[in-house]
Amino acid sequence: MLIEILDVIISGLLNGSVYALMAIGLALVYGVTKAFNFAYGSFYTMGGYFAWVFLVPLNLPGGYYTVFLTAIPFLFVVGFFLEKLLVAPLRKRSDWQMKAMMLTLGLSLFLDIGYIAMFGPRLKSLPDIVEGTLDIGPLVFMKQDLVIFILSISGLLCFAWILNNTRVGMAVQAVAQNPIGAQIVGIPKDRVFAATFAISTIMVGIGGILLSQKNFVNPQASTGIMIKAWVITAFGGMGSIKGSLYAALIIGMLEAFVGYYLGMIHIDIAVLTLLLITLAFRPQGLMGRE
Amino acid sequence: MIKILAVIYGIIGILPIFVSDSSIMMRILTMILIWSVVASCWDLIMGYAGIFSFGQVAFYVIGAYSSAILSVSLNVPPVVAVLMAGIITAIIGVLVGLPCLKLAGPYIALVTFAFQLALEPFLKGPLGKAIGSGGSRGIISVPPIEIFGISFSSSNLVPFFYLTLIMTLVCSVIIVVILKSHWGTAFLALKDSEDFAASLGVSAFKYKLLVFGVTSFITGLFGALYVHYVGILSTRMLSMEVFTVLLIMIVVGGIGQYPGVVLGAVVTVTMNELLRPMGIYRLLIMGGMVVIIVLLLPDGVTGLFKKLSFFRSAGKREQVQ
Repeated sequence: MLIEILDVIISGLLNGSVYALMAIGLALVYGVTKAFNFAYGSFYTMGGYFAWVFLVPLNLPGGYYTVFLTAIPFLFVVGFFLEKLLVAPLRKRSDWQMKAMMLTLGLSLFLDIGYIAMFGPRLKSLPDIVEGTLDIGPLVFMKQDLVIFILSISGLLCFAWILNNTRVGMAVQAVAQNPIGAQIVGIPKDRVFAATFAISTIMVGIGGILLSQKNFVNPQASTGIMIKAWVITAFGGMGSIKGSLYAALIIGMLEAFVGYYLGMIHIDIAVLTLLLITLAFRPQGLMGRE
Repeated sequence: MIKILAVIYGIIGILPIFVSDSSIMMRILTMILIWSVVASCWDLIMGYAGIFSFGQVAFYVIGAYSSAILSVSLNVPPVVAVLMAGIITAIIGVLVGLPCLKLAGPYIALVTFAFQLALEPFLKGPLGKAIGSGGSRGIISVPPIEIFGISFSSSNLVPFFYLTLIMTLVCSVIIVVILKSHWGTAFLALKDSEDFAASLGVSAFKYKLLVFGVTSFITGLFGALYVHYVGILSTRMLSMEVFTVLLIMIVVGGIGQYPGVVLGAVVTVTMNELLRPMGIYRLLIMGGMVVIIVLLLPDGVTGLFKKLSFFRSAGKREQVQ
C-alpha cells in the first residue's frame, strides 16, 4: 500500500519535472513575445521523432549524447526561423494575437499530419537512456527515471542561470518588461523574440526526448501536451516561472493519482476541473501578478 | 451585407434544381449550409465580440449528442429534440461562459479548447455512457426528422436541403440583426476601447454572455440537425480535423468580415470534398493552407476584394482628375 503510493508519487514527480521544463518554456515565450503558440506540442513530438530517427533507424554512435548535442542546435534553428518567417510578419497588425493563434494551430496540424505521413501512424518506442534499477531497501527505482528527473531539473537550473546571468537572458527579461524601452536602449527586439521562441522550442523538444522514453513517440500526443503546458502556465500564473514550477509538480501529481486510482480516461477532466476552479477564484493563477 | 448574403444563399438555393440527381453535389450543398452557419457563429464570437473562444466544435457536438440521446434513449420526437438540443447547448454555453468570459483573451482560448479536449474522454467514459452517449461506439440509428409525414433524412436529400436552407436563412437573419442592432455597436465600442466603453455604461460581460448564449443555441441547433441527417454519431466529430476545417472557413473568409465567412464555408467545404481522394495529404494541405492564408491574406478573401475595390475606386478618381 505504502509502496504503491510511493510509486505514484515518484511517477508524479517525474512527469511534473518534465512538465515544468515544458511549461516554463511556454511561460517564457508567452511572457516575452505575447504570442499564443498552439504548435508548442508539435515540437514535443518533433523532439521525440528526432531522437527516434537518430537512435533506431540510423543507430548513430554515442546514443543519447549525440541526440542531445544535435537536437539542441536543430531545435534552436527550427524555432528561430519559424518565428522569423511565420510569427514576425504578423506582428505589424493590431489583431496579430488572434492571427498568430490561428497560424500556429494550422502549423500544428501540418506538423502532426506530416509526422504521420513521414513515419506512419504507429507509436515508436525509444530505447531507455539508462538500463537497470537502483534498490534502496524495499524501494526499487528505475535508473532511467532518476536520469530523466535529474536531466529535466538541471535543464531548468541551466535555463534559470541563462536568464539571470547572461546578457542574452537579461535582454530577454528587458524585452518582456517593456519592448519599446528595450529597443530604445539598443536591444534588438526582433532578434530577442526569435531567440525566445527558439529557446522555448528547445525546452519542449528536450521534454519530448525525455518523456517519449516512457510514453512512446506518438504523433497524436501534441495537442494533449500543448494543452497541458498551457494549463500549467495558466494555473501557475502567466509569466511567473516559479508559479509554473509549482503548478507543474502539482499537476504531475494530480495526474499520477487520478490516473492510478480513477483511470487514465479521467486525467483530462480532472486537470480541466482544477484549472476552472483555480481560475474562478484566482484569475491570475497561483502566483501570477494582477 | 444583406445583399451579399442573399446572393450567396440565393445561388446555393437554386443549384439543387440542376444537380438534384447527383447525391454528392446535394451532400456538399447541405454541408455548406450547415457549416456556413456554425462558422458564422464563430465569426460573431471571435471577430465581433472579440472572445477568443475555441469551443465552437464542442458546442456543435454537444448539440448533436443531446438531440441524439433525447431521440434515441428518451424517444422524444426529433423535431422537439432538435429544439431542446439548442436550448441545452445554450445553457451549457452560458455555464462555460460565466467563469470564462471574465478572463483575459488567451485564458478563454485555453479554457474553451481544453473544454473540447475534455469532452471526448467524458463522452467515451462511464459518465458519458450513463447519459447514453454509447461510449466509444457512439450512437447509431438516430431517427430522421419528420414533419407532416415527410421524412428529412440522408436518403431523401432535396427536402432536407430545403429544411436546412430555411433554418440557415432564419439564423443568418438573427446574426445580421445582432450585428446591426445596438449589440453590434456595443461590440465595436468594446473592441476599440473596452475601458472607455465601460465608462459609458456598456457592460462587456453582459453582452459577451448574451452573444455566447445565442451562438451556442444556433450552433447546437445545427449540430442536432446534422445528427438527424447523417443518422450516426461518434466522438470522431471532436477530432482536430473538424476543428481545422472550421478554422479554415473563418481564415479564408476573414475574421470579423461577416458575410466573408459564408464564402469561406463554400470554398472550404468544396475543397475538402475535392481533396478527399488524397487521403492523409488532404489534412497536410489544409494545415499548410491555414498558415499560408494567414500570412498572405490576413483578412481572407474579403480583404482581397476590399483591396481590389479600393484600387478600382482609386483608379476612377485619377481618371476624373
